[in-house]
Amino acid sequence: MRISSMRYLVHQGFKGIWKNRMMSFASFCIMLVSLLMVGVSVLLWINIDRIIGGIEDKSEVVVQIRDGISQEDIDQLQKNIAALPNVSGVEFYSKDKAWENMMEGMTDEERDLFRYADENPLPDTFRLTVIDIKRMTETITQIDTFANVESTRSPTAFTDVLISIRRVMGIISGAIVVALIIVCLIIISNTTRASVFARRKEINIMKYVGAKNSFIRIPFFIEGMVVGILAAGGALLLTKFAYEGIYNIFNDDFKLWSVLGVSNLYPFDQLFVRIAIAYAATGALIGALGTSFSTGKHLKV
Amino acid sequence: MVEFKDVSVTYSSGVDALNKINLTVNDGDFAFVVGPSGAGKSTLIKLILKEIDATSGEVVVNGFNLRKLRRRKVPALRRTIGVVFQDFRLIPTMTVYDNVAFVLRVIDAPAKYIRSRVPYVINLVGLSHKAKSYPTELSGGEQQRVALARALVNDPKLIIADEPTGNIDPALSYEIVGLLKGINECGTTILMVTHEHDLVRHFGGRIININSGSIAFDEVIGGTNENK
Repeated sequence: MRISSMRYLVHQGFKGIWKNRMMSFASFCIMLVSLLMVGVSVLLWINIDRIIGGIEDKSEVVVQIRDGISQEDIDQLQKNIAALPNVSGVEFYSKDKAWENMMEGMTDEERDLFRYADENPLPDTFRLTVIDIKRMTETITQIDTFANVESTRSPTAFTDVLISIRRVMGIISGAIVVALIIVCLIIISNTTRASVFARRKEINIMKYVGAKNSFIRIPFFIEGMVVGILAAGGALLLTKFAYEGIYNIFNDDFKLWSVLGVSNLYPFDQLFVRIAIAYAATGALIGALGTSFSTGKHLKV
Repeated sequence: MVEFKDVSVTYSSGVDALNKINLTVNDGDFAFVVGPSGAGKSTLIKLILKEIDATSGEVVVNGFNLRKLRRRKVPALRRTIGVVFQDFRLIPTMTVYDNVAFVLRVIDAPAKYIRSRVPYVINLVGLSHKAKSYPTELSGGEQQRVALARALVNDPKLIIADEPTGNIDPALSYEIVGLLKGINECGTTILMVTHEHDLVRHFGGRIININSGSIAFDEVIGGTNENK
């Protein structure tokens, strides 16, 4: 297609927005609300995911080492554990350190009870963190097979709950996003159907003079896309203000919770580019596809 | 060239619109298609434009065998045909110039060609002074002349005029047919559907009379204007 023709079609698309300004405004509002709802669900999901992720990262596996083995064996065991693909870090926690820490955490009366103990009853341990919490059970099973491992301890029941929450949240958010996009497409295609209907005569003439379907569709496509991008811009601004408000309210509370491994919400700046691209792409796609669907019927001449 | 070989059309309602029609319109011909309402004239035009397909038989238009023509190739066929409708079918939001230029834009013609061709064609139909007017500001005859300019602008091999004088004054009808005759003299094939027998008698030429889906008469007659 020639540049002049393309320019003409783009111009027709923009002209169409103004010519059907009431319909364009209706589409704009519908898309704005839908994009906002999609954005809220996605933001909610990624933040919950981050919070849960923070808690998961704090989940450690404790490997109890058999008593009385040599330093060489301890080093070998550490190497073997560290070599496992799902292990992100292994730290040796000596029985003396464990004893010291335990004593520090006790009251004087409690300490008195252990004052006359002959020897330190605590074992040497490794404390390790895993890369993928979903594979924690599999990693523990592997560690259990190593020599000189007395036992392993891990919060698998707790992490299983976290994994389930994340999975369910992911499914719910995904379903909401897909449902909203479908609903939005249907509404947009119905809204634009009226403006396409008003121009059916024009479309009909185009078909008689030998216009290809693409030539007829492009201005509608551009019209829908531009309205979609404008709605995305509006949704982005509203999201920014609302999100930053929420972020500021919870910021102080999250500082306290961070001790438990609860991460703070993402700062908006970190999400801005991704949200802007997602909004613009979704808005443009919904707008363009919505209008294309409604032109289809009138192209069969 | 338009060629119908044993063409029949039966609509889904069971109505037989055309029965085994054989017809040839050669390049450069001018033919009036006449007949009562429901005789099959519109079906004939719809077939040529590939709006519908023949139930049986073969239709060839400007070298396109319509039975074998794929949907996506239909625009190529239609670009060889200019159509003039009874109700003009101009786009009310476009000026005369844009209504005509529109056809060239549709076929992706260069902007320079559009700028030179459109004023030329508008001048041919005598509407240069109305190039910036909108269809609603024109009389019926003027609107039909714009429609004629639009049909002519991409230099089609064939112009189909579907009752082009049906919505205009009788005096202006002669002017429109006169314009079509002039276009025909330049080599364009014209197929004009009409109900107006006076007009046919006046201009004469090839008359194709369709009745009950069959060709009842296909002869060349002399026009009364030639006798004067």
